[in-house]
Amino acid sequence: MRLPSNQTTLRSEFADDPDMLGIIALFIHELPQRLAAMHTALAASDREQLGMLAHQLKGAAGGYGFPKLGEAAALVDQAVKDGNDDNVIRSRVGMLAAVGARIRP
Amino acid sequence: MTAVPSGLPKVLLIDDSVLIHRLLQVRLQREQIELFGATSAEVGIQMAQDLRPDVVLLDIDLDIKKQGMDGFGVLKVLKSDVDLQDISVIFISSTATMEDRVQALDLGASDFVAKPFDVVELQARVRSALRVQRLVKMLAQKAQVDGLTGLWNRTYFDQRLSQEVGEAIRHRRSLSLVMCDIDGFKKLNDERGHPFADKVLERLSKILQSGRGSDIACRYGGEEFGIILPNTVGSEAIEVADRYRRAIEQEVWPTMPGTVITASFGVTDVFALAGTPTPEDLVSAADTAMYRAKRNGRNRVEATAVVPLLG
Repeated sequence: MRLPSNQTTLRSEFADDPDMLGIIALFIHELPQRLAAMHTALAASDREQLGMLAHQLKGAAGGYGFPKLGEAAALVDQAVKDGNDDNVIRSRVGMLAAVGARIRP
Repeated sequence: MTAVPSGLPKVLLIDDSVLIHRLLQVRLQREQIELFGATSAEVGIQMAQDLRPDVVLLDIDLDIKKQGMDGFGVLKVLKSDVDLQDISVIFISSTATMEDRVQALDLGASDFVAKPFDVVELQARVRSALRVQRLVKMLAQKAQVDGLTGLWNRTYFDQRLSQEVGEAIRHRRSLSLVMCDIDGFKKLNDERGHPFADKVLERLSKILQSGRGSDIACRYGGEEFGIILPNTVGSEAIEVADRYRRAIEQEVWPTMPGTVITASFGVTDVFALAGTPTPEDLVSAADTAMYRAKRNGRNRVEATAVVPLLG
């Protein structure tokens, strides 16, 4: 029944909650900036900054109804904490960005 | 006067992520609380001191770049501050290991919520922490009140007098103390019995509570009372004491017709004593005056030497 594709759009689990509309919209609006900041940190090899950004996203995304985004951010956070190689981190940031790109209001 | 908290309970969120602040503002909007927020440890501690919230939601991972204080640091500060240590602290974290959770709980946190939140669970845990706070406040109040008379108890008297003396000296404000002892209480107890003696204490306490709203009447000992009078000079305190004296003398005791009960009063004023008096000095001076009242015939008000006496 579920499309196994990873091209489907992602909506917030709380998209139908009137209380949440405003902050979800704000979250989606700011997401490109957050991802861009992570890319900047990655390009500058600033793992600490990258880790912090991933950590914050990991902690909040689920609360906004985007658990997949949170999980992808957790993988980046973990890679930084574990001191993984650059290409591992880069790959995970890429996966995070891909999830982010699917998000719609 | 009693300290009754008014208004909604206060919840303070200390988390460095704006996303979490926005989320909780929405998710806790239907709880009967006032939600405050701080995004750093330092501001969080300052706000806790200013607001005295009932519950603090504290991010363990505050300042993960380790440039200042982290969540554990904040928790330690809160729990070591006598004014803040009873606040219910709920730890929130997306990374805490079991060791972190145990450490947080051992440091004094009451509860733990994982990020990302389950909304319903978070709301329930906040409500639970608020219930605990209501009980803590009730207990603290109960621990300060004398069971029989409803007056503040000796523990509260000592604390409060110490505070008031400090304030009076710091701000050069007047402060008086009246010590009061029921005349012939032991004889009363022996002759009329314990239940009557208790009734006397209760009735007297009501008289002492019916004075000026600013006066703090406490049960000091078995049959001794201490009344702290902030912003009151000795001569005024003498008048207040004499009003109490007359009210007690005139009290009618229907179960023991013809009985007259009296009390002796000693009055002192913080600026009537030499140097910088301690709370103990004040009590000692007022007690000395009270014993003089006993020796001079009872049912009297006496005061420390410098202050003019009543005839």
